[in-house]
Amino acid sequence: MITVRELHKYYGAQHLFKGINLEVQKGEVVVLIGPSGSGKSTFLRCINGLEYFQKGEIIVDGIELHSINRLTPGKKDMEAIRNVRLKAGMVFQQFNLFPHMRVLENIIEAPVRVLGLEKNTAVENALSLLKRINLEMKVHSYPGELSGGEQQRVAIARALAMKPEAMLFDEPTSSLDPEMVGEVLSVIKGLVNEGLTTLIATHEMGFAREVADRVVIFDKGDVIETGPPDEIFANPKTERAKTFLSRILS
Amino acid sequence: MKRLLRILSLVTGLAILIYWATPSQFTESSIEKIKNRGYLLWGSDAEGGAPYVFPAPEEPSKLIGFEVDLAEAIARELGVKARQSQNAWDSLIPALERGDFDIAMNGLEITPQREKEILFSIPYYIYTEQLVVKKDEAVINDTTQLKGKKVGTLSGAVAQDILENLGGVDIKIYSGQAEPYEDLALGRLDAVLLDLPIAAYYGKPNPKLKYAGPPVGEGFYGIALRKEDGELKKEVDRILLKLLQTGELKQIYEKWDLWNETQEKLFLNLNKSISYTSIEESRKAPVYTFFPMLLKGAGLTIFISFVSMALAITLGLSLTIIRLYGKPPLSSLSTAYIELYRGTPLLIQLYILYYGLPNIGISLSPLVAAFLGLGMNYAAYEAEIYRAGIMSVPKGQMEAALSLGMTQNLALRRVILPQALRVATPGITNDFIALFKDSSLVSVIAMVELTKTYNILAASTLRFFELGLIVAFLYFVMSYPLSLLARRLEEKLKGSKK
Ligand SMILES: Nc1ncnc2c1ncn2[C@@H]1O[C@H](COP(=O)(O)OP(=O)(O)O)[C@@H](O)[C@H]1O
Ligand SMILES: [Mg+2]
Repeated sequence: MITVRELHKYYGAQHLFKGINLEVQKGEVVVLIGPSGSGKSTFLRCINGLEYFQKGEIIVDGIELHSINRLTPGKKDMEAIRNVRLKAGMVFQQFNLFPHMRVLENIIEAPVRVLGLEKNTAVENALSLLKRINLEMKVHSYPGELSGGEQQRVAIARALAMKPEAMLFDEPTSSLDPEMVGEVLSVIKGLVNEGLTTLIATHEMGFAREVADRVVIFDKGDVIETGPPDEIFANPKTERAKTFLSRILS
Repeated sequence: MKRLLRILSLVTGLAILIYWATPSQFTESSIEKIKNRGYLLWGSDAEGGAPYVFPAPEEPSKLIGFEVDLAEAIARELGVKARQSQNAWDSLIPALERGDFDIAMNGLEITPQREKEILFSIPYYIYTEQLVVKKDEAVINDTTQLKGKKVGTLSGAVAQDILENLGGVDIKIYSGQAEPYEDLALGRLDAVLLDLPIAAYYGKPNPKLKYAGPPVGEGFYGIALRKEDGELKKEVDRILLKLLQTGELKQIYEKWDLWNETQEKLFLNLNKSISYTSIEESRKAPVYTFFPMLLKGAGLTIFISFVSMALAITLGLSLTIIRLYGKPPLSSLSTAYIELYRGTPLLIQLYILYYGLPNIGISLSPLVAAFLGLGMNYAAYEAEIYRAGIMSVPKGQMEAALSLGMTQNLALRRVILPQALRVATPGITNDFIALFKDSSLVSVIAMVELTKTYNILAASTLRFFELGLIVAFLYFVMSYPLSLLARRLEEKLKGSKK
């Protein structure tokens, strides 16, 4: 479903990714962990075309993203990036709901304007999504009137409204108050159980252990270990992984 | 204040009414007298010369000149013939007061001193003073360089006042029009300053002489009438306006080669509410008589401001989008535009648009030049406001929109700009207020908006203070609601950011 091959990424002189490889199967749930600044966000953003990379390739459901060295990508690149975004929805740490639109408008905006859906159909879909995340009563609220947890649930619904093949979550609960983390995670769990291909960057280790088919540990831009959660958490092989896990699990 | 003004104007009006009404009630009115007599007696000095009134070269018993033509036209409108009454120019006014003739018309400049003694019709010609020098003159280029020079002029003419005011000029007074130019050609004078019609007739054709600099000063010739002849004055004004409207007056001036652009200003009297009011009357007129004209000016100010602002908003938005999201050559051009327009005075931009472009074959109407001048200038400021607005939208908004598959254009239109514009609205409103006031600058390109209306009215009535307060008040009344709006928008924005 998602293939990353020999991914190299520079931020100016900083050589962050030095050839990352990752293969995600359809329906697989992969959890990315690692210390802050290790490159989890950048990795997800590369897959979503929000960051360009300088070497290697990323293939999402058959659509290839190529490395871009130029400042501005060509027309073909832009087309590929847009198609990849339609395959893989993204949820951000900061929610990024559109503050000038109501909840309903936030959700139907892209289906109507990008996919060309009938407005009625889009609204119907949106309402059933809102029902699923238990927020039907907030249809006409503005994002500013919602709690953080509610906003993030709406953001998930907004991404799902595009009917993506896969979902990318970048620390979806990191900017939430602790009491709201649960409600968001349970929505994600629901999706995972339905078999949606999912990549999640998170610091919630309990959650990772529960939902992950595979855990990938990042450190300083390197993938230092990858495997099923039971193995990784019980028997980390490398020193770097051990240090990280002992710090985070203590 | 308002009551005081009302009482004042009432009293003045009443006084004028009594003043005019009294004589005609008890004696035969001047108009009736003229009609019964069958001819209009007009005083002038044929010795004064061309092109006013002078003997025809081929038939010296016949008088010709543009004032002869004008007198005949006025008489015709009154239903009578015209008859010239010869009188020395110096004593035309005493002779008029004495009753030697009905009107005096001979290049009499409308001056406050004269207005103390007699009535003037509305202006029939706008004179300027032209400096004439010898063809080989190298030093004197205009009136500023006359110190210590021998300069000829006519006794009692406005030019004499101008020369006296310059100070240090060796003024030589002549009583005839031809002589100073003769003396100039002979080297007895360094220059001659006289009314343009005189210079055009005596100075210009002389191969030894030339014009130095543009005409200076500006004043009106008016037909002089006795103080008690208010009725006749009204009639003469009506006729002059009619001649102006029908183009007959222009024809007369063209025949005598006296028509020039300055004369267009005579038409200012036509469209305006004070068209039947002479300068003297307008000095006393109650202030509300100027309101229609001022309101018309204000209307034009509003119209220019709105159209220019619409242009500024759309052009500014395009500039910002090109600057922020355009490809390299275009985006730097947009930046250059913004810097150039912000870094140069609006006044210069207006001059270039209106007076400069014709040099390269592009001629804009005043209205279009005003729209473009203000709009293109303010577009640069709008662009900066939008840019600040767009910058204030968090980066995540664009990314979220893109990650939903939106194109950059769609994301801009639906997600970024609505948020940016909300931030920018108070700034835009403030800019609108500024543009509104800056619109007074377009008065330099022949737009008779509020400020220009003020200039015209104040210059002709000398009521700079009173009219100035009214005009300032009008500007304020128009801009204050915008200020209130800007403040409300600012507060709303603050509220929504909690
Ligand atoms: N826009 C950027 N410009 C320069 N460096 C960046 C940028 N974004 C991230 N980085 C750097 O890349 C590294 C990885 O960052 P990130 O992907 O955000 O890590 P994580 O999400 O794991 O915390 C960090 O060293 C960070 O400083
Ligand atoms: Mg991150």
